[in-house]
Formats: sequence, C-alpha cells, structure tokens
Amino acid sequence: MEYPKEGVIWPVVPDVAKPFYKGMQQHKVLIQQCLACKTFQAPGRITCDHCGSNQLEWVEAKGTGTIYSYVVFHRSFHPYYDDKVPYTVALVELDEGPRVMGHIETNSGQEYNVGSSVRACYKTIDKNELLYFQVTDGDKS
Amino acid sequence: MKRNPLSAVIGLGMTELRRDYTVASWQLAVEAIGLAIDDAGLTHQDIDGLLINKSPIEDLSALPMDLQDYAGLSRLNLLNVVEAEGSSMVQTLQQATMAIQSGLAKKIVCVFADTPLRPDISAAESFAIAMPMMGQTGIEVANGFYSAIAAYAMAAQRYLAVYDRTTDDFAAVAIANRQWAMLNPLAKIRKPMTLEDHHASPWLVEPLRMLDCAYPVNGSIAVVVSEASVAKDHPQPAAYIYGMGQGHAGNINRRGFQPEIETGARLAGETAYKMAGITASDINACEFYDAFSISTLVNLEMYGFCLPGKAGEFIADNGIGPGGKLPVNTGGGHLSSYYMQGATPVSEAIMQLRNKAGERQLSQLDNMLVTGYGGRMQFHAALIMGQ
Repeated sequence: MEYPKEGVIWPVVPDVAKPFYKGMQQHKVLIQQCLACKTFQAPGRITCDHCGSNQLEWVEAKGTGTIYSYVVFHRSFHPYYDDKVPYTVALVELDEGPRVMGHIETNSGQEYNVGSSVRACYKTIDKNELLYFQVTDGDKS
Repeated sequence: MKRNPLSAVIGLGMTELRRDYTVASWQLAVEAIGLAIDDAGLTHQDIDGLLINKSPIEDLSALPMDLQDYAGLSRLNLLNVVEAEGSSMVQTLQQATMAIQSGLAKKIVCVFADTPLRPDISAAESFAIAMPMMGQTGIEVANGFYSAIAAYAMAAQRYLAVYDRTTDDFAAVAIANRQWAMLNPLAKIRKPMTLEDHHASPWLVEPLRMLDCAYPVNGSIAVVVSEASVAKDHPQPAAYIYGMGQGHAGNINRRGFQPEIETGARLAGETAYKMAGITASDINACEFYDAFSISTLVNLEMYGFCLPGKAGEFIADNGIGPGGKLPVNTGGGHLSSYYMQGATPVSEAIMQLRNKAGERQLSQLDNMLVTGYGGRMQFHAALIMGQ
C-alpha cells in the first residue's frame, strides 16, 4: 500500500465523522449518542450500532476512560515514525462506553496496563491537533 | 454413519512457493489452474466454473476476471472474484459447493495467487497496511498504527490481560507449528524452535514477536471442486465437504463487546457442525487460518474446543503438534510452512485427506475443520471436510 513518505498522514475523513475530527482541533472528544436508545458510539456512524436508529446527536465526552488494550511498536512501518520507536498506541474505553484510539504517554516511568485510567490530551502534529492519552493512575484527584 | 457429502475436491494444483519474485500473480494462477485440472484428470473444456481469490490488499487488476481468458477457460457457467478478505479461499469452496448443489455448475476451479515479495518491495512493506480498528474513519494512520501485526497485537494484549496469560501461550502455538513444519517438505522454515528461541525473538509490535508472524511467499494454489457423486471416477482420492458455515459478528467497538477475542468463528463453527451433523468433539484435526500465533488460541476457543482463555491450558493438556490429541495446522501453518492466506489450510487438508502427507500423515480423518478468516479476525468461513 502506498502512503506519502513524509510527515504524519492525516486521514481522509468521511462527512459522518467530521465532528470527531473538528472536536480534536478544539480539544474536545466528541462522540455520538443515539436519541432512541441512548447508546454512545464513536467516531461517527449513520446509524446506531445497537438499535439501528438514525437519530444520533453529537455530544462531548468527559475525556476520561481506561486502557482497553494497547500495543508497543518496536519497529517503524513509516518514515515519520523511524525515530519515534518504541511508541504505544491504545484503544481507550471512554467512561461513556465507546473506544477510541490514541497514543499513550506517561510521566517518566509511570507503569500502565489494560485497565489503567487515562485522560484525553492533545498535541500538534503537522498543524493538526491529535488526541492522545495521559496515564492518570496514581495521580492525585 | 452414512453421510452425504455436499461436494468433493478432486484436484489440487500448487506452483512452486518462492521467497523471490519470478512472475506476476495472474501468471502463477494460470499455472496452478492447469496443474489442478491435470490432477483431477480433466481438460480445460471440462471446467464450467472459476472462482478467483486475490489478496485483499491487492488491486483487482492483480487477478482480474480476465483470468478466465489467460487460463483458456471458455465454457463457464460461473465466474466471480470472491472478496471476503482472508476468508475468501474457504468461501470460494463454499460458493462452488452451493453452485454444485443448485445445478449451476459441476466442475469449478477455485484459485488463489499472490506475490507479496517483489523486486522493489519487501513482504513487510506489502503487509504494512493500516487496519481499521475504530471504524471507517482512519485515525489509525495518524497514530502510526500500521501493519496487520499491530491489529493482532491489540487482540493479543487484550487476550493476555483479560485471561491473565503470558506470551508463552503464543510460543506453544508457534512451536507446534514448527514441529509440524519439520515433517513437511513444502514448509519454508524447518529448523527446530524452542521456548528460548521464542523468548529471544525480537518484538515487532509488542506483544507479538517475529516468530508469531506468518511467513510470506509468492505462489498460487488452485483446487477443482466437483459433484461428490462422480468423485470416485477421478484419479485422486476425493476430499469431501460435509458442512460449511460463516460467521461475521461485526466490529462493535464499545463496552460489553470484545471483537478482538470473541469472534464470529463461533457462529461459523456452530453452523458448519450442525450441517455436518457433528460437534466439535467429532473433529479429528484442524487446519486454521493462522496469520499470527494469537489467532490459533482464539480459534480453538471460538470453534468450541475449549472455553475462552483456556487455549493455552488446552494445548498443554492435549497437544496440537505431532502426536497431540487434536492435530492443528499439520503442515506448519502460516507461521512455519507458507503464507498463502486461506489456501494454506485448504491445501494441507486436501493432502491429509488424500493420505499423501508423508511423515506428517494423520490416521483418522472423518472430520477436519478447515477455516479462513479476514480483517482483524472479523470475517470467518469454515468447512467440515472428510475422507
């Protein structure tokens, strides 16, 4: 598969998911809620994946959740990441229920695992604000 | 018990499986099609169906509908490029069986071909795709979440955490595969593997190591599927199909669902067992699609051989390698024999059912479970095959 060789690649975003990406630029985690059955889902669909309703509205998630699973890249599959390995990418289960993807970052040496608490943060990559997650296990609340 | 097979595989054709590039996929496919037709004791004029399986990451041009003409097949009642990702090859045999049952066609070639190793690109680069984990929007690429390995590593980490297991469960799968490969002259990696070798294998995307990954090759594999009633008239012992099923459980990515480790294979298995009139305990051996070691653990659980999270214990207690109670991936699987996607388990099943598997030949083969899956273990298709 051919990708551009320079810079981080920004996805081509379908219309249905644009609010999620616009939310990132404003440092918000925007997800959808079904008006019929109240199920939350991310990052944007035309129908509710629980009841099939097409009555969905965008709401702001709290931005907190837990690590559902994660992986550590020890090799790079794209030049942009050649000097960034090892790096960790997780699926984070938001408190509202849906799971979203983001890098995991820690204060120095902080341990984490599946189930660790995290909080949404943002960093600028190639002019875009990208969601990542900071581990909050052990933080004072 | 007298059973009525749904169809029979009467021909198998395999090109040389190589670690370097020689010719294009379609050219390999033509060669394998010819070998399969010869093997069945047929001529090109006898073939009335062609079902094509390209690699899901290739363009349609890699194996186009025109393969019909390249292969010299001009009397077809059935022609299709079957696209169901890694479950495609098993699905071609299913479609062929349905066509035979309905009377649409009688002698159908199913073919897979791929050339991930090329002069200008490595196999690792060929498979460095970004797999959709969150849905269709592609945030994976912005996160550098590339490679099929990463998607399976995500499943693997979830598996380890939920069931409190270690990567030694992955090693048990890889080692059993290697033990089978040592008995298979077609297998590409045949040197012994120990637990220490697995521990020393470098992480690619943790928790998966190099030795947890499939071994890509260039090549093509084709089969001829026929009505079962005339299978005995052909030169090779028939490999009968007794049942089949599919399971696509969706990619629901929120609390309460774990699509990474609770897959549609459960549904595919239940459907196939019911059609064949058996249960999992009647299966003599399994040929799973196993692009990564983690998937064999999940397959053992979802196809009903043990409870979720218990595959490591099942392997330790019963054995899936040579001499084990449930032989699994008896040619070495994708990890140690050859990664021809769904065609690897199909080809090994046929060799076993013909009693032509040499040193690794199994003795009792009433029911073999032969499976394919695609995506991130999303799309599942299964066959029950027997002698």
